[in-house]
Amino acid sequence: MVYTAGAYFAYSLSISLGINPILSFFLASIFSAILGIAIDRIVYLPLRKSNSPGLVFLIASFGIFIFIQNLLQLLYGAQILTLRTGPVVEGYQIFSAVITPIQILILSVSLILLVVLWIIVDKAKMGKAIRAVADDPVGASISGIYPENVILYSFGIGSAIAGMAGILISLETNIEPTMGMNAILKGIIASIIGGIGSIPGALLGGFFLGIIENLGIWKIQAGWKDTIAFAVLIIFLLLRPEGILGKKNNRERL
Amino acid sequence: MEYFLHILIISGIYIILTLSLNLIVGFTGLPALGHIGFVCVGAYTSSLLALNYGISPWIGLLIGACLASLLGLIIGFPSIRLKGDYLALATFGFGVIVYSVSKNWVDLTRGPMGLPGIPKFSLIGFELQPVWAYLILVAVFVFITAFVINRIACSPFGRVLMSIREDEIASLSIGKNINRYKLTVFVIGAFFAGIAGSLYAHYITFIDPSSFTMMESIAVLLMVVFGGMGSIKGSFIGALILVIFPEMLRFLGMPSSVAAPLRQMIYGLLLIVLMLKRPQGIIGQYRFK
Repeated sequence: MVYTAGAYFAYSLSISLGINPILSFFLASIFSAILGIAIDRIVYLPLRKSNSPGLVFLIASFGIFIFIQNLLQLLYGAQILTLRTGPVVEGYQIFSAVITPIQILILSVSLILLVVLWIIVDKAKMGKAIRAVADDPVGASISGIYPENVILYSFGIGSAIAGMAGILISLETNIEPTMGMNAILKGIIASIIGGIGSIPGALLGGFFLGIIENLGIWKIQAGWKDTIAFAVLIIFLLLRPEGILGKKNNRERL
Repeated sequence: MEYFLHILIISGIYIILTLSLNLIVGFTGLPALGHIGFVCVGAYTSSLLALNYGISPWIGLLIGACLASLLGLIIGFPSIRLKGDYLALATFGFGVIVYSVSKNWVDLTRGPMGLPGIPKFSLIGFELQPVWAYLILVAVFVFITAFVINRIACSPFGRVLMSIREDEIASLSIGKNINRYKLTVFVIGAFFAGIAGSLYAHYITFIDPSSFTMMESIAVLLMVVFGGMGSIKGSFIGALILVIFPEMLRFLGMPSSVAAPLRQMIYGLLLIVLMLKRPQGIIGQYRFK
């Protein structure tokens, strides 16, 4: 949900307040991080303290989702907004495919984000701490890692990146309060297909899902896109729940 | 008055839905999120049969419920082998698939244009036109559903379901084929959801895919959790409160552009507060594991 909020933050900053787009991109992602951390403190932290099972988290996150989506609708209205300024530019031709400058911008920023994220999670010390807490919070705290701090960081980073993704996508398409649901679902599907907890897996899963969806609607109508995505998810859940690159023991956790 | 009866009928339909989902989620502990898919099948089946072949809604209701439980079998067969969140995701996926089939199979369902002019139920030649007559009909179905679910819950079969909820491995160890039990529960739940769908279609006399979005599944799940998982009384309370309470907000006199999102916000807030303060619901005993 922070993803949609990020887009709206950027909209308020750059269009309503007239702040420089690049500055407002960073400000909006900082706001997204703050929002993510606030959600964690207010809702998830008490749930963790009472040792709630996964399903309670799931329902609570549905609650957060519904709440924020409708708060945004209340504040900004249900109409479609856009971050785009200036005329639509014609794209370049590369190998008979057309790509617009904005798409190139989105691609390059996502690549940079991906590399940064990969460095944080796989190489930096904090990434080790994050993975340690994910594996075994008690074990991690014995070896001097304070799990709550690590969760705080990962929420901050995750939310900032989600906010950035929201801003990037709204450069290409439009902003509306309901844009989040699809993104969350596709995100979950892509990460399950790729393998939970693996960044190359997420990349692979995202590409795989995108390609299958769009190849699929090449043959049948575009309305079936979601059906294809969920059919792929169900096939994976049944045949290879650990994902393309995941490890076997992840079977019962999410 | 008419409006009040209308709200009661809608609550009745939601009570049937909540009871049937409670059997799956509350009594057996399977987090299923695709319940609205079964409603969709029940509604479309009996409306299409009535519109295209002039089949009486009574028979349509039965056929719709049977088709819904067939779908429950098809969906349940692969999904029950999954655990916890994965089961929730897979059933959610099936729900989305049913929704998009109803939206995209335009030749059969007329897609987003919906099906107008669905005939009402009729009894010995008289159409059930007055709202109160329909209320009695819905009340009868609510009673039947509550009775059947209650009988299931009290029977040895129901005790096995609860043992599956409490500890799957333990129930396996006493020789219970838990997959068969789970599948049966899916089929029964889907059957009653199909009935609810058909009742809804013949009451409103118009259906389109937008009545069967995943938000509805979440709303029904909320009713189950709100009232109390594994509690028949809880399902009544949950469905009644969550249908009637938002309706009351209509009388506060806010413009609809404010009232609609505000209603949803209260829904969301209610979910969060409930999960924080009382995850077992108003009168439930069982908590999610």
